[in-house]
Amino acid sequence: MSLIASNLSIKHEKSFHLNDVSFSMSKGEIYTIIGRTLAGKTTLLKTIAGLISPDSGGLTFDGHDFGGIPVWKREIAMVYQQFINYPHLTVYQNVAFPLKQRGTQKTEIHRRVIAALSQVGLEGFGDRKIQALSGGQQQRVALARSLVKEAKIVLLDEPLVNLDYKLREQLREEFRGIFDTKASEDSILIYSSTDPVEAMQLGGQILVMDEGRVIQQASAKEIYENPISTKVSQITNDPAMNLFNGRIEDGCIVLSPEIKFDLPSHFNGLPQGDFTFGLRAAAISLDDNGFPFSVELSEISGSETFLHVRHEGLKIVGLLNLVQNFSVGAKVSIRFDTKHLYAFAPDGHLKSSPYGGLK
Amino acid sequence: MSLFYSTLKYLVVTLWSMFVIAPFLWALTTSFKDFQSVTSGATYIPWVDFEPTLDGWRSLFKSPAQGGIAIVEPFFNSVMVTAAGSGISIILGTLAAYSLSRFTFRVGPIRNGDITFFFISQRIMPPVVLSIPFFIMLGKLGLLDTLFGLILVYVVLLMPIAVWIMVDFFNKVPVEIDETALIDGCNPYQAFFKVVLPNSVPGIIVAGMFCMIFGWTDFFFAFILTFTEVQLLPVAIVALNSSITPWWSLSAAALVSVAPLVVVAFIVERHLSKGNLSGALK
Amino acid sequence: MGRSINKGKRSMNFKHKYMFLLPGLLVLLAILVFPIGFTVRLSLSSWDSFYPSLDFIGFENYIRLFTDDSRFWEAFGRLSLLSLTTVFLQYIIGFSLALLVWKEIRFQRLFRVLFLIPMMTTPVIMTVVWRTVFHESLGPVNDFFSLFGMQPLWLSSEILSKFTVILVEVWQWTPFMFLLLLAGLLSLPKEPYLAASIDGAGPVRTFIYVTFPLMAPISIGAIIIRLIEASKIMDTVYVLTSGGPGTSTETSSFYIFIKGLREFQFGYSAALSITYLIIMIISFTVIAKILVKLMVRGE
Repeated sequence: MSLIASNLSIKHEKSFHLNDVSFSMSKGEIYTIIGRTLAGKTTLLKTIAGLISPDSGGLTFDGHDFGGIPVWKREIAMVYQQFINYPHLTVYQNVAFPLKQRGTQKTEIHRRVIAALSQVGLEGFGDRKIQALSGGQQQRVALARSLVKEAKIVLLDEPLVNLDYKLREQLREEFRGIFDTKASEDSILIYSSTDPVEAMQLGGQILVMDEGRVIQQASAKEIYENPISTKVSQITNDPAMNLFNGRIEDGCIVLSPEIKFDLPSHFNGLPQGDFTFGLRAAAISLDDNGFPFSVELSEISGSETFLHVRHEGLKIVGLLNLVQNFSVGAKVSIRFDTKHLYAFAPDGHLKSSPYGGLK
Repeated sequence: MSLFYSTLKYLVVTLWSMFVIAPFLWALTTSFKDFQSVTSGATYIPWVDFEPTLDGWRSLFKSPAQGGIAIVEPFFNSVMVTAAGSGISIILGTLAAYSLSRFTFRVGPIRNGDITFFFISQRIMPPVVLSIPFFIMLGKLGLLDTLFGLILVYVVLLMPIAVWIMVDFFNKVPVEIDETALIDGCNPYQAFFKVVLPNSVPGIIVAGMFCMIFGWTDFFFAFILTFTEVQLLPVAIVALNSSITPWWSLSAAALVSVAPLVVVAFIVERHLSKGNLSGALK
Repeated sequence: MGRSINKGKRSMNFKHKYMFLLPGLLVLLAILVFPIGFTVRLSLSSWDSFYPSLDFIGFENYIRLFTDDSRFWEAFGRLSLLSLTTVFLQYIIGFSLALLVWKEIRFQRLFRVLFLIPMMTTPVIMTVVWRTVFHESLGPVNDFFSLFGMQPLWLSSEILSKFTVILVEVWQWTPFMFLLLLAGLLSLPKEPYLAASIDGAGPVRTFIYVTFPLMAPISIGAIIIRLIEASKIMDTVYVLTSGGPGTSTETSSFYIFIKGLREFQFGYSAALSITYLIIMIISFTVIAKILVKLMVRGE
């Protein structure tokens, strides 16, 4: 059972909301769509739901063309980032709504609603009014309503983004549990997010979107190890991967007249020339034998410190595993962990990665 | 808040209140007068300046032949026409407003905004302009001097109001709720009736209020389009405005005609405080 | 403007949309098409009580309108004067009243309901009452003025009759403005006011820099709506002064009324109507655009 998209495009005035999007999704899997705001994630979800029709291209589900099937006949469920519930109904009625609409038997409705409510941790909330609930609770109701249908495709559009930090963490943990039930073996779960951490945590396949296109589709591991372009690396890393220009010359990497180091072994096949190098913030460390940089900014975050340093035109952000305040302008000595260095061509494409990825 | 501002505040408010009440008070005393009390100069306080009588009030129930204004029938006619006109306008208007809020229309260069403008621009036309053609049209249809004919005309008058208020109201209801209803298996009609409509009750009440206000207070169309069979309240009252105007009957009738909408005023104020009226601006 | 949540692409585009729109639209069109079409056709004829026929005289009526009928244009001038004055007054008074009953005040509900009442009344009927109030020999107003030895001619002097009409209009319709503005005030966000009070702004400054700008869109809307309604002014004039004395309170609608339903020059009055309509639609579009620019620049 699968959802196949071929060449979906939606144009609006001069820009593409969806630009030639194709993918294939199979049941029992979680797919995370990650991208910046306005990358087209919501548009894609709404197209799959049937709320928007593509200008060109098509969708098939289980071999049937989705195009001819209107929204209300597709077996889908959707949870929005704004807490959307039916304001005039109680919690119980909200969750029961899709089943009532379908004509399910009263006893069956009751059974399923109670089950769904307990799955999301809202036992006993049946009689409450929506307005009386907190944001987190409202979103749980929306979630329960999406579960109760046992839909074949479940769409979640940044469902946790409007919750406060603690709640987000909590729900994220509960999430996998909620969707790991038997029923979900039969459905496709599509989750959109702008947060790379969230995407990685959910596991499953990731589709990276930018400007209406899917620029990479792969497992979370693959996306982490081998982002196929600088764009992907920017979207899927938090904190952002450091990207800086340099040259490969005579077996050395040259970032500036003062900063040179040997080629790491995984760069051996690369020709000389200009490249954009990538290095995650965690691969930067303080070392007395390193290169001289001066501090522009330091931010303590939890048990780590973000250090923004600079050497002439070269700016780097390092994530240091210590808690220390640096004063602006202080001189530090920085070491690059070249084993984790990426090389991208000037046009952005991945040329070499520490994990042996694509060429 | 200094004492100065405070006093000023109450002063202004009180002055205006007096201005508002003045005509009503005058009508009230006048309704208890008779020919003598009126024509001998302005008089104010009953029993002090003049002898009060109930003639004015009694005349409300006598027919013109007996020297009164039979107010009962015109009153009910007004109620009928206003209620029916408002009802139909709200039903048709709400449906149209929903579509204008949610869907995209494009017929050539005409888009949603233009259609909405078309509805609302009906208000620009003075009744005069429409009255002659309506006169002829209703005449041809044999609907002159009938309740039904007048109701039809009132629908034209009131639907724009319903559309204006409801479009703005619907725009404030997140479209995601409609979408969720669709996803939950409702077709667009069901989504509207089961989900959007129950949430729009405040808006409908407001639209209803305004329709009733503008319907009840119409004079001109009733004036032009009805004569003897059907008489609406305002017409019946103004008909008395001839050379020998029985001020007392007039005043009594005026007070009666105003009464129903005072209730409406209370309802409007309640909704106002609940914040249901914000918006409505193009 | 009116759109708040549903910016951007409207995502629903189902065939069902027509079923929602069409009943209302078609009914409106059906009831309107004939009258408007007929009026246009009428305007091209010379139908009047002497020659009741739908002949075709081309644009003669219009030519007459533009070259020979100063009365029409005077009526227009008067209409502009009257409606702009009343709406302006209503705005000032209405806004002031709204501000006063917006916050804490004793008997707040009572005042609010009271201030709403005049607009709930039938204008004609109240005007009849006003007529008795301003009656030059038997009304209370002149009774009061006779204490000073004056008997102003409220209804029969050229200047004063305008005043009386304006007064009655203001009494009748300020509540409408009041309602719209109060509703707007009640919907304003609280944050700017918190900021202003932290900055130590007094009531006047708060009004100028916070309330007024925030209310700008609503003010524009209210003014336009009121202008549209005010331009139709008819009931008041009809009962109070019958356009008089002479023509001093004769407005465009009234003039059209006279020509059409008093003198029965249907063809000519139709031409007047169409011309009036076109001028009004253009005027309102222009006024709306100007007001928007004014208010936006003022921010």
